[in-house]
Formats: sequence, structure tokens, C-alpha cells
Amino acid sequence: MLKVEINRTLPGFKLDIAFSVNGEVLGILGPSGSGKTMTLLCIAGLLHPDSGFIQLNDRVLFDSTKKLNLPPKDRNVGFVFQNYALFPHLSAGKNIAYGIRNRSPEEVNRRVHVLIENMGLEGLQNRYPQQLSAGQQQRVAVARALAPEPDILLLDEPFSALDSLTKEQLEMQILDLRQFYKGHIILVTHDLAEAYRLSSRIAVYDAGKIAQYDLKEKLISSPVNQKVARITRFRNFMDGVITDIKDKQVWVTVPELGTNVKVAANGHKNLAINQSITIGVRSEHIQAVTAPGQNTLQGTLSSVVENLTSINCYFNLKTNKDSCYRIEAAFPRGAAPTLTDGLNYYLYLPPEQIVIITN
Amino acid sequence: MNDYLSPLWISLKTVLVTTAITFVLGIAAARWMSRYTGKIKPIIDGIFILPLVLPPTVVGFGLLLFMGKHGWGGKFLALFNTSIVFSWPATVIAAAVMSFPLMYMTTKGAFEQVDTNIEDAARTLGAGEWRVLYSVTLPMAWPGVLAGTILSFARALGEFGATLMVAGNIPGRTTTIPVAIYFAIVDGNMKQANILMIIVLCIALASLALLAYLKKPKPRERGLIANPVPSDILHAGRKIDSPP
Repeated sequence: MLKVEINRTLPGFKLDIAFSVNGEVLGILGPSGSGKTMTLLCIAGLLHPDSGFIQLNDRVLFDSTKKLNLPPKDRNVGFVFQNYALFPHLSAGKNIAYGIRNRSPEEVNRRVHVLIENMGLEGLQNRYPQQLSAGQQQRVAVARALAPEPDILLLDEPFSALDSLTKEQLEMQILDLRQFYKGHIILVTHDLAEAYRLSSRIAVYDAGKIAQYDLKEKLISSPVNQKVARITRFRNFMDGVITDIKDKQVWVTVPELGTNVKVAANGHKNLAINQSITIGVRSEHIQAVTAPGQNTLQGTLSSVVENLTSINCYFNLKTNKDSCYRIEAAFPRGAAPTLTDGLNYYLYLPPEQIVIITN
Repeated sequence: MNDYLSPLWISLKTVLVTTAITFVLGIAAARWMSRYTGKIKPIIDGIFILPLVLPPTVVGFGLLLFMGKHGWGGKFLALFNTSIVFSWPATVIAAAVMSFPLMYMTTKGAFEQVDTNIEDAARTLGAGEWRVLYSVTLPMAWPGVLAGTILSFARALGEFGATLMVAGNIPGRTTTIPVAIYFAIVDGNMKQANILMIIVLCIALASLALLAYLKKPKPRERGLIANPVPSDILHAGRKIDSPP
């Protein structure tokens, strides 16, 4: 169990977070400068929080009330830096062996050998970091961090410098880590898909605070606010007022568009009639239909962006103001309807795919 | 003949002891200042570099005042019934003060080039500050540390003004090569001046050669990157065949 409460104030920035991890992979997700790396540095003892409390399993690493601050060397925390930070003057094998202490040379060799095998680095242990590819360097960095058998492994944007093919392979390797490393893992990333694939829980950071900390499925299906919804790739938002709630169905009026939308309020509590809310829909959940009906909006196709696996269409909707409301819909390639710029289409918002954001 | 060469032995002794002292003090000061972020950093930095910009005779005069009978250093030494002005240790002190800025500046520059993440990585791997210094920082900054050592060695060997001020010219005790050459020429003893000049030239060339040899890049630093992609792909294939 890792328990973290950190406060740190810098000019124009305040980190104020609290969370706990227990034997799982926690993904910390957020934009640059939201305090993700700072959190890892505080856990590793490389940065001194102004106040707070950090406990790893049964050891207290930091407690500002007791003026307790364990130096990094005594924390038993494995850290993989964004730029890997391998020792350039040591071979891959010696890099890995660096953190193994108080063992006989044979035991060190055996441990290094096991890690080299686990990380798929056979035949590379005598190479120097400059002679390794970025992917290989990253695996050496992970092996080196795991060598002293740390209680927790901290990965700071480990894939940001890699091409997509190498990245995929290394993600597999991190998933495989769980087979021989049983400690906690924290992964810092700004890539939602990466966090989702690798972790079981995700903490979304926003300007030094945790906007939401949830199981990843929960995070994706019910973001607590619009910031989180945007970070988790919701693209369409409409402000509305709840007009009716019955049988787990919520009716929302969107005054701007002059329309009523039906929403399946899955697990949402504390909703009230006349409450102002925002509804959000992912672009890939919007369907093009041939006829008007419930939850159907009429829009004019304004532009099309082709992606690898989908086609993104942007529709302009008429509003009762002078402004124009724009909706983004993503249709899978192959199943995309034939659409022409400037024509009107009907867009269906499936009730079970609409989320209600209460604040 | 022995008289001719006595400045050589004195100089060698002085320079070796001086280089050892500046090596240790220079690294310690550079380590401290490359991490120190306090407000008075520029002031401390300036004090450390001051001997480099001051005329050597001024530094020598300052040392003389400090270590003389009425200076703090002299009074402190008097407690132990010793005095070091115009004795051999004074040559070491003069040379050390004059050569320290070169060691300090070069080493500090080299330390500041070392990626702090790499030092932090060593700390998270259980290394204390000493181990970080000798196993990571020094090896990574080695070319700079070495250059600083050789520069301060050369500066100590050539030290004249400050040495003359605090150690004087006592043949067989404080007369180093540069001082001996000066007084040999003043006395018209061209033979000794010539011999000592050639010796200094040889030492200087030898130290330059040593520097060039030690700084020569090793083959591994030439960025030989074996084509890594095929082995990665092979590895991925093998891994699927035989689950761990």
C-alpha cells in the first residue's frame, strides 16, 4: 500500500494531491505541467514537499509533522526517468547491477542475468547505452530500476520518446512485468489510450490537483467534470436543464438547440429536475440516420478529416442564437456513410452513450 | 650541479603536493557550488575565482599579511610555535591559491554538464552522496576534471609572483624553478637559466601530451549503434513462441 499526501507551492503553481495505490498499476494522466512528474519525484525523495505524508507499505517515507524525510537511497523506490538516465560510462549489465547491494558477485550476476532474460536483453549486457536503441535503453532502465527489488516502480512517461512500433512492444513488456514484479506501479503519461491499456486505476491531474481518481472503466464512462471529460476524449458538450426523470431515463432540454434529449442515467444519483447540467457525447458514438426522430439533430456537413481507422465529420447545427454549434462525429472507415459537404444530415445520439456531467 | 638542480626538486615537490591539494579542494568546492543555489552564490563564486584575476603579487602580498606575524593565520600558527612564511610550505600555499581557480572553474563546468537525472537515478538505486560522486559524477565529468588538474598543475609549476612574496628566494629551501630562472638571469648565470628553461619546457610538453592521451575518445564513445530493429523484431517473435 502506498499512501501519498503532498503539498508543494511554487510561484504560480500549487501541487495538492492525495491518493493511495495497492498492488496495482496506477496511471497518472494529465497535460504537461500538471504536476505528474513532481509527484513521482516527491515519492522517490528527489523533491521535498512543503508538507504532507508518504507511506510505502509499513514504512513512512515522509512526514512533515514529524520532520521525517527519508533520503532517496533508503526509500527502496524504483524510478524510470523519461530520458532513461542510464549511466553512459557503464555497460548495460553494470547499469543493471548498480543498485544490487550486499550480495556476493555470483548472486549479483545471477540477478542481472534473470533481469536481462525477463526484459529480453540477451546478448546486450556488454554494450554501452550509446550503442543501444531507444527501446533497448528503456528496457535496461526498467531492469536497472527493478534490480534492487523495489517496493514500488515509478515510470515517468516511459514511452514518450519512442516510435509507435517500439512503443507497442514495450507496452507489452510492461504488461508482462506483472508476472515477475509484484510491487505497486505508477505510470505517468499524457496519453489516455496508453494509461487505459496499462493501468487499472487512473488519476486525472489538472493544474496540480486530482480532478478524478477512479477505476479506468468508471473514468471513461462517467467523468466528473468537463475537464476530465475533455482529457478522456469527449468531444461534444451541450449545456442543458433536466426536465424529467423516470425509470432511469433522464430528459434534458438543450435550450441553445431547442431540443429535448433522452439520456440513460446509468448509476447517476443526486439528479434533480430543473438542475443545470452538461451532457457529453464521444464523436464515435454519434450515428448518421436517414430520418428525424428522438435524440436526432439536424446538421450541415462542414468539413471532413480522414484518419487511419475512422473518418471525422464536422457538422454545423442551427442554434436559436446567431452562433453556430459544431458537432464532431467519427465514423469507422468502411462503415462510413457517403456524405457530401454542405448537405443536411440527421445525427442520432444514443441515450446510453450520453454522459451527464453535473458540475 | 646539485645546486643547479635543487630548484627542480623543490618545484616538483611543491607542484605535486599543490596539485593533490587543489584536486581535492577544487572537486569539493565545485561539487558544493554546482548544487548550491543560495543568494550569495555569485559572491562565493567570485571569491573562489579572485586569485585568477588579481595580479599574483597582490595575492602574494595578501597571503603575506594573512600569514605574517600580525595576520590571523600567522597568529593561529603561532599557537603551535610555527610560522610558515619564507619556508617551503609557503611555496605550496602560494601555488595552491593561484592554481585553485583553474581547477575549480573547469571542474564546476564539467559537473554542471552532468545530467542531474543520472545522479538522481543513482540515488534511487541506493547510492549515498559519496558513491554518487565517485561512481557517477566524477567518471562522467572526467575529461573536465582532468583538464582542470593539468591546467592547475601547469599554473602551479609556473607560479612566480605570489611565491616570491610569501616564500622568498632561499636557495635549497624555497627557490622554485621560475624564481631560480629569474635570479639566475639577474645574476648573469645563463647556464643555469638555460638548463632550467629546458626542463620546464619538457615538463610542460609532457603534461600536454598526457592530457591529449588521456582525453582521447575511447572507441565506444564514437556512437557505434548496431542496427537494433531486426533483433527487436526477432525478439518479439520468439517471445510469442515461448511464453515465459
